[in-house]
Amino acid sequence: MSETTFMGVERNRIDWKPTIDYTKCDFCMECTTFCPHKVFEVRECEEMKLIVRNPDNCVVFCRACSKLCGPDALSFPDKNATTQRIKEIRKEESNA
Amino acid sequence: MLENYAILPCNGLDKSAGVISGEIAKRLCESAENQTICPVFYRVSEKKYNRIAGEHPVLVIDGCQTRCATKLAAEKNLKISKKITITEEAKTHNVELSSNLRLLENDNALIEKILTALNQSEDKLPIIPAEPSVTYDFEYETYQHGKFIFRVPKNPEVYYNENDCWAYVIGNHARIGVTDFVQQNLSDILYFTPPEIGDEIDQFGEIGEIESSKSVFELISPFSGKVIAINSPLEQKPELLNENPYELGWVAEIELTDIEGDKELLIGFDQYLKIMKKKVEDLNG
Ligand code: SF4
Ligand code: SF4
Repeated sequence: MSETTFMGVERNRIDWKPTIDYTKCDFCMECTTFCPHKVFEVRECEEMKLIVRNPDNCVVFCRACSKLCGPDALSFPDKNATTQRIKEIRKEESNA
Repeated sequence: MLENYAILPCNGLDKSAGVISGEIAKRLCESAENQTICPVFYRVSEKKYNRIAGEHPVLVIDGCQTRCATKLAAEKNLKISKKITITEEAKTHNVELSSNLRLLENDNALIEKILTALNQSEDKLPIIPAEPSVTYDFEYETYQHGKFIFRVPKNPEVYYNENDCWAYVIGNHARIGVTDFVQQNLSDILYFTPPEIGDEIDQFGEIGEIESSKSVFELISPFSGKVIAINSPLEQKPELLNENPYELGWVAEIELTDIEGDKELLIGFDQYLKIMKKKVEDLNG
């Protein structure tokens, strides 16, 4: 299993990443300090000081950074829908 | 009734959730024999509060997920017996917190709900763990990286997901927990939030949470099923997770609903060991 697959599916086919709600985020940077996978990027000189730079680095089903976010500004896709989608892709690929 | 507790609120003054944490501490101390630990004074002088916290079970009340009170408890080596987070409680009780620092009607309604729930939780009968009818024997392979040692069970009955949770399947039941990778990463585990008995869990759904001063880890269930047992000793002794997350540190047992379907998305020992080694190397260089 290479680093770009998850459960045998190419990582970039799975939509799993944090989304920042900029109306809530206070740019405390707890999330990016915590996450070891370089998902976020800090942009000191821009208005949006933090962006999701590498969504495919995010570990599928992990939501750890959102548990550390005081203003609750991070959200994720629906887990069940993601699992179903992974199953579908696997099926498509095994039939291909 | 919640009584004889030492109560450590975050008491944050600049957010309504913090103000609510302080108000709940006040109310709990007015109505029963509880004592408040002032987080500000605790930082400069610890003798008095160390004594109170040593003599009573500790209830930690965090305003938000920044978890200032939990982190303070960790710093002071307190054993946390109970813990709530106001923003999470607001979600559970479907209450919108006001942005005002003075308590408004909805905040007061939330406070009442939280107090009722806290008092009722004390009146609940303790869960007596079921007599184990089956034994789970583990055979480990160990992997060492620097000073860290990771055990990984190699029994064929043990399945893993890529989120570092294991399931030991016997018949149509599975016992579930986290791997050494999780406990090593979190370091000292301070608190365990179990799932509820009877909860129906989807595959990869949340089956409890464990928490250290570093982070909160959501357990991701390898299988779908219904929770039939939880390892209740972990609630008082979360450190068992650090000692051995496979044996005394297991988390829950579920009755499986789709064993074969779920197995398709799980991996065995060989693959997990490879993935875990890579994670360890990526994290520690
Ligand atoms: S932890 Fe939350 S508030 Fe802080 S920077 Fe990240 S998203 Fe923004
Ligand atoms: S969910 Fe996990 S992997 Fe993804 S950005 Fe947050 S901490 Fe990093």
